[in-house]
Amino acid sequence: MSAKTSNRRDFLKQSAMVASGTLILPQLIPSTALGMGGKLAPSDRIVMGAIGVGGQGSGNLRNFLWSKEIQVVAVCDVDTNHNLNAKAMVDKIMKSDDCRMYEDYREFLEKEKLDAVSIALPDHWHGLIYSAAANKKIDIYGEKPLSRTIREGQAIVNAVKRNNVVWQTGSWQRSGKMYRRAAELAINGRVGKITRVEVGLPDGDSRIGTPPVMDVPQGLNWDLWLGPAPKVPYRGVCHADWRWNLDYSGGRLTDWAGHHVDIAAWGTGLDRTGPVSIEGHGVYPNEGYYNTPVEFDFTCKYANGLEMRVANGSRLRFNTGAAWYGEKGWIHVDRDGGLLHASDPKILEEVIGENEIHLYKSDNHFWNFLECVRSRKETVCPVEVAHRSISIGLLGEIAMTTGQKIHWDPIKEEIIDNPMASRLLSRTYRAPWTQPIL
Amino acid sequence: MKKISIHILGLVATIMLLTSCHWGGNYKALIVTGQNNHMWETSSPILKQLLEQTGLFKADIVKSPAKGGDMSTFNPEFSKYEVVVLDYNGDSWSEKTKAAFVKYVKDGGGVVVYHAANNAFPEWKEYNEIIGVGGWGNRSEKDGPYFYYSVANNKRNEKLVQDTTKGRGGSHGKQHEFKIKNRVLDHPITKGLPVAWFHGKDELYSELRGPGKNMTILATAYADTLMKGTGRNEPILMTITYGKGRIFQTVLGNADENGGPSMQCVGFITTFQRGAEWAASGEVTQEIPADFPTAVTVSLRPNFSVMTIEDDLAKIAQYDLTKSTKYFVNLQHHMRKEAKTASGFKKFEKMMLVVLEDKAATVEGKKLLLGELSWMGSSESIPVIQKLTENSELKAAAEAALERINTAK
Repeated sequence: MSAKTSNRRDFLKQSAMVASGTLILPQLIPSTALGMGGKLAPSDRIVMGAIGVGGQGSGNLRNFLWSKEIQVVAVCDVDTNHNLNAKAMVDKIMKSDDCRMYEDYREFLEKEKLDAVSIALPDHWHGLIYSAAANKKIDIYGEKPLSRTIREGQAIVNAVKRNNVVWQTGSWQRSGKMYRRAAELAINGRVGKITRVEVGLPDGDSRIGTPPVMDVPQGLNWDLWLGPAPKVPYRGVCHADWRWNLDYSGGRLTDWAGHHVDIAAWGTGLDRTGPVSIEGHGVYPNEGYYNTPVEFDFTCKYANGLEMRVANGSRLRFNTGAAWYGEKGWIHVDRDGGLLHASDPKILEEVIGENEIHLYKSDNHFWNFLECVRSRKETVCPVEVAHRSISIGLLGEIAMTTGQKIHWDPIKEEIIDNPMASRLLSRTYRAPWTQPIL
Repeated sequence: MKKISIHILGLVATIMLLTSCHWGGNYKALIVTGQNNHMWETSSPILKQLLEQTGLFKADIVKSPAKGGDMSTFNPEFSKYEVVVLDYNGDSWSEKTKAAFVKYVKDGGGVVVYHAANNAFPEWKEYNEIIGVGGWGNRSEKDGPYFYYSVANNKRNEKLVQDTTKGRGGSHGKQHEFKIKNRVLDHPITKGLPVAWFHGKDELYSELRGPGKNMTILATAYADTLMKGTGRNEPILMTITYGKGRIFQTVLGNADENGGPSMQCVGFITTFQRGAEWAASGEVTQEIPADFPTAVTVSLRPNFSVMTIEDDLAKIAQYDLTKSTKYFVNLQHHMRKEAKTASGFKKFEKMMLVVLEDKAATVEGKKLLLGELSWMGSSESIPVIQKLTENSELKAAAEAALERINTAK
């Protein structure tokens, strides 16, 4: 398959170069779908599929379908209902009836010849499926957080690099003007040297108790949904609700680390490395099936002396968002109401000079990916950045689980002198699944 | 089981001696009661038990004459105590007693104002300055503004309001479980607590008003309009200073039979105990208990006794999927707080291995412990876990634990 794909990819790249002058993306999605590079024959389109087409996955797919640059040919989900809904949406927009459906991603990846795939799955599946798609040399738009464990993240990074595929993380705030502006002001020292960063993520607040074991709904392959996670009976905790159980996610912390932690690190220039120590504590539900921390508060120290505190928003001055503190003041950005403010409003009017740092400019996260699929350039949120962003959340999780201060080597990506905590860098997989190779 | 218990008991005793033994002082507390529109005969002994179980207090209870009795005979010796706990809402005290109380506070005495005690003495000016805010007893705008936090989607937009609107002081909607939010995190009483925690079913006192001088609102709760509440973030825990005196007010703990969920709530218990220590001394030395509630769980102690690691392990040994996991969560909490070093973990490992070797312990209980041992177990765990691979129900969990233990270099 690779010969066919790479020929196709070369062709796409060439056509992108020819048409590069016209690859200007509108900043707002119009009410009708617009083509990106003028009128293209169907064979020029980027052939796409999607794995995981529940809430987030079908939303992402819908966003891709605003572009006439793509042709979606197949969807894959362990829940037939998701597949049927996604197929209906795709067929309607594509004005066709042949969007294919798969339950098992292995069959999907084997049979479909794709240029790109959009993947939105519970975190416990990321390690295997991102790696598998990369190994098939398919470009990937993958949801954050990159992985459930740091070792899985490393495996994904290596698979993406080894196969030279284009990767975009669903950390879409990187394509938001306000976040880029905030990060650019911070990284260019508009509040002086940054000494401290505070990142507020939403509080955990999902109450559930322990629901009774119940029949698996029709159309859902529960065993395949669990995949590498421990085998447990079905309790109605599945789509959307999986985020509150540690077998599948780290809760709010790992969910949102891919957003505000990612932006905070971007504005410090430390988004391709990691801290040297991590220390803090979490508050866990007293009981029940939901066992991810409802509160968390930990501090990462970097080799250059910078401190990054990550906590549930209620513990912090600005609640949620990313706040950079420098010698001369602070800058804070948050999703809530599109908030960007600073200790002195004049800071926000500062112009970034020609010779200063200009961060990667993307105004549409999905189209940035499609553009890079053609140009073979790096996206605004490449895989290594995604890995380093979630590593902060995952190291925080380890510090909270063990109650210990964790010393971290960000180059070797090893916990120093702590074999117990080191075991938490990976998880065991349920047979027959095996860890993605590093 | 018996043999195991003894084994565990020894280990627990050792750990307690090594790690959690602290004796902050020996404070004398006086609980003032005898009249109340609430069940004071139930609540006062519970408050005494709660104070004394901290190991910090020796508490006396003093009862006033019954309603309509001769109050001139009621002269507690406040000055003999470090803290006075008010569980009183009744007839006026004599001028002499009032003066003694005010002097006690001014001179640096500690006070805890518990639930309906903020209904008492609406006409007594100094008392209202001491409690900060109160309700009922014809309290109105003449007594001071309403104190509450405004409601906004984002915490940073919620502001403390002093509202001088005319109207009654004191109300509450239907009793229900409600979420309490700590507004000040660096006060000795709230330090280390979760920001938000669910409180057992209680009255949510609202529309409190008063002078509110030198008052800090430590915590609030949203009075849901669906529960006939005010739609405001009402003050729940307050500190006040008066002269040299420190006052802690908790509006929680409307007593029901055996205290009821409002008093059995570990959040009420813990904040009451911490508030009393702070009022007595200005500092708090108590640890946050493992079963402190969170933003998503109410946590009760039906008999007011403190959970030990031994209790936790005994419950884990009996665990099945229909039962609570809170004992397991408690064990994890103790481990995070106390283990710290590899040898610290070893003590917990030993206790867990006893349960794993116990034939009577349930499969589900063992699975929980195997998950923990997978990361913190040492080579000592390996033979015990190896044996469990022979059990078809435990095979997968045991093998997963061994795989992880063996990844350690």
